[in-house]
Amino acid sequence: MVLFGLLLLPILPLLLYFIVRPRPLNIPIKNRHVFITGGSMGIGLAIAKQAAEEGARISLLARSLDHLEKAKQSIWEAYKVEVSTFPADVRDYDAVEHAINRAGPIDVLVVNHGVYYFEELEKQGVDVVKAMIDVNLMGSFNVIKAALPSMNKDRKHKGPASIALMSSMAGQVGTYGFAAYSATKYGLRGLAEALQQEVIGNNIHVSVIFPPVTETPGIEQARKTMPEITKTILDSTVEMTAEEVAKVTIKGIKSGSFSIPCRLDGRALAMATAGLSPQRSFLMASIEVVFAGLFRFVGLLFQWNWYRIIEKNNSSRKNRSPEVSGD
Amino acid sequence: MLIFIILAPIFLLLLYFIVQPQAVSIPIKGRHVFITGGSSGIGLALAHKAISEGARVSLLARSLSKLEEAKKSLHLAYGVDVGIFAADVRDYDAVKRAIVEAGPIDVLVVNQGIFVPQELEKQDMDEVKLMIEVNLVGSFNVIKSALPLMKGRKDSRPASIALMSSQAGQVGIYGYSAYSASKFGLRGLAEALQQELISDDIHISVIYPPDTETPGLEEERKIRPKMTEMIAGSGSVLKAEEVAKKTLDGIKSGSFSISFRMEGQMLTIATAGASPQRSFLIAFFEVLFAGISRIVTLLFLSNVYRSITKSHAI
Repeated sequence: MVLFGLLLLPILPLLLYFIVRPRPLNIPIKNRHVFITGGSMGIGLAIAKQAAEEGARISLLARSLDHLEKAKQSIWEAYKVEVSTFPADVRDYDAVEHAINRAGPIDVLVVNHGVYYFEELEKQGVDVVKAMIDVNLMGSFNVIKAALPSMNKDRKHKGPASIALMSSMAGQVGTYGFAAYSATKYGLRGLAEALQQEVIGNNIHVSVIFPPVTETPGIEQARKTMPEITKTILDSTVEMTAEEVAKVTIKGIKSGSFSIPCRLDGRALAMATAGLSPQRSFLMASIEVVFAGLFRFVGLLFQWNWYRIIEKNNSSRKNRSPEVSGD
Repeated sequence: MLIFIILAPIFLLLLYFIVQPQAVSIPIKGRHVFITGGSSGIGLALAHKAISEGARVSLLARSLSKLEEAKKSLHLAYGVDVGIFAADVRDYDAVKRAIVEAGPIDVLVVNQGIFVPQELEKQDMDEVKLMIEVNLVGSFNVIKSALPLMKGRKDSRPASIALMSSQAGQVGIYGYSAYSASKFGLRGLAEALQQELISDDIHISVIYPPDTETPGLEEERKIRPKMTEMIAGSGSVLKAEEVAKKTLDGIKSGSFSISFRMEGQMLTIATAGASPQRSFLIAFFEVLFAGISRIVTLLFLSNVYRSITKSHAI
């Protein structure tokens, strides 16, 4: 029995080596044009710095000219590299198209902008929900659509290109308080899986990044207003710094990985939620196959833990105000 | 072999205690079922099934004339009157008015949807916007409108919110970037929402049908890109009645994910991820077959990308 298993062990990776498509590849960063939306702060700025350090030409798009100027300053001070800045709201297709055309042909498009407000859907305003969908999802479509024509042109001579989308672990599993945000981050996955099939023929490679809660000015703000239960669930995870996320992102983009998880817990979640996402690495594919069952089990354990937290929280609320219960 | 026989029941027992949320049974008879996109296709088939099981049905859709046709055909078939409400799901205020007028809802079926397949590079941004706004924003509008009354309901029995996704909401396919984005989004919404509503005894179901024989499908097939047809066209096409029956059965058992036929089940197992699973038996199979599932998935993807490469080489 054990012998059988041992014989099988090398056969699986070998088999997968021949099966997995699309194939792995290398996408260089040095001397190439990296265009980052939401690039003036947080993860976007960290990615810009990382790419600048690796010798890329950088363009940043964001809403606030002020923040863009500050970002441009800080990158110049650190790397003596001049970045181009483009103020625009991603919800405005014409403004985005205008900016992208001015920036020039793009090699690596990092669709990183995003807004988030964590609240029970019942309490959250419809305008807030719409804002998240408009910016995070529709805005991403605008950016990609505007960039595609120039990214497609002359690709044979310019080498492989990348479109990287900033999702979130909330785009792998929906959690209390994240209804609208998870919807947008899940949406980016659907977009990415379809898009990759459409653009692979033009040597454009899609990546989706799934960071955990990251230390940014944005998350500090969100912490103040998020529901108790959301806080409890998030507190059980360890935050990453924007620099760590940026490093992992650039590395993943360079290897053309479709799913770019961060850290071990992120990788486990990525394997559990691999679903029908492409996997270029036959080694990763082997691990996914062998441990798929275990990862599904872990996924179920996570749900068990969350529902326990929710139950505990809800029963403690009922105990505090017994006359409010509706039966 | 012996080890497996001993371990299996222990594992089953473990899963029995772990799976959350717990299993539930949601009655349909005598209860109020509110269906958006209910004037045609799957929505109308659902209305038929729900009425035949003794439910009181309300339909929401854009076209008043289509709603009246549906109302007539249902009255003809069952001698029962359904409430009809004309509203565009993108208009929150109109949806809210309709839902308040319809009265407290026990089973909310968020079924409206538009699908226009095309390569993103060629697609009109207005079409992308339409799909996101109707399929995703519209669903938020419907759910938010219904929530206050559903949470404060006097009926102490469990309630349900069912969201019509699609197999394109489990895997993104060539030509469906906007449609898949909107349908994937429904899943994120559902997983989060279930955690928020479990204490109110409201249970979420996400339905993942394959291509279904509806007027909508006919239109869509006419404009489908060739590559899309090659990749997605080989699956089964179901009748709306079959989808309606399985959907209602799934809603009644409070299943979080509702899929169809063998291929649908496999797809759901492959994409189970960290989704809740209320049935410890199904959880057992998900864990057991996850590995094989992943291999089948990788084979499928390999095939898809080979076809794409081949078609570009021509």
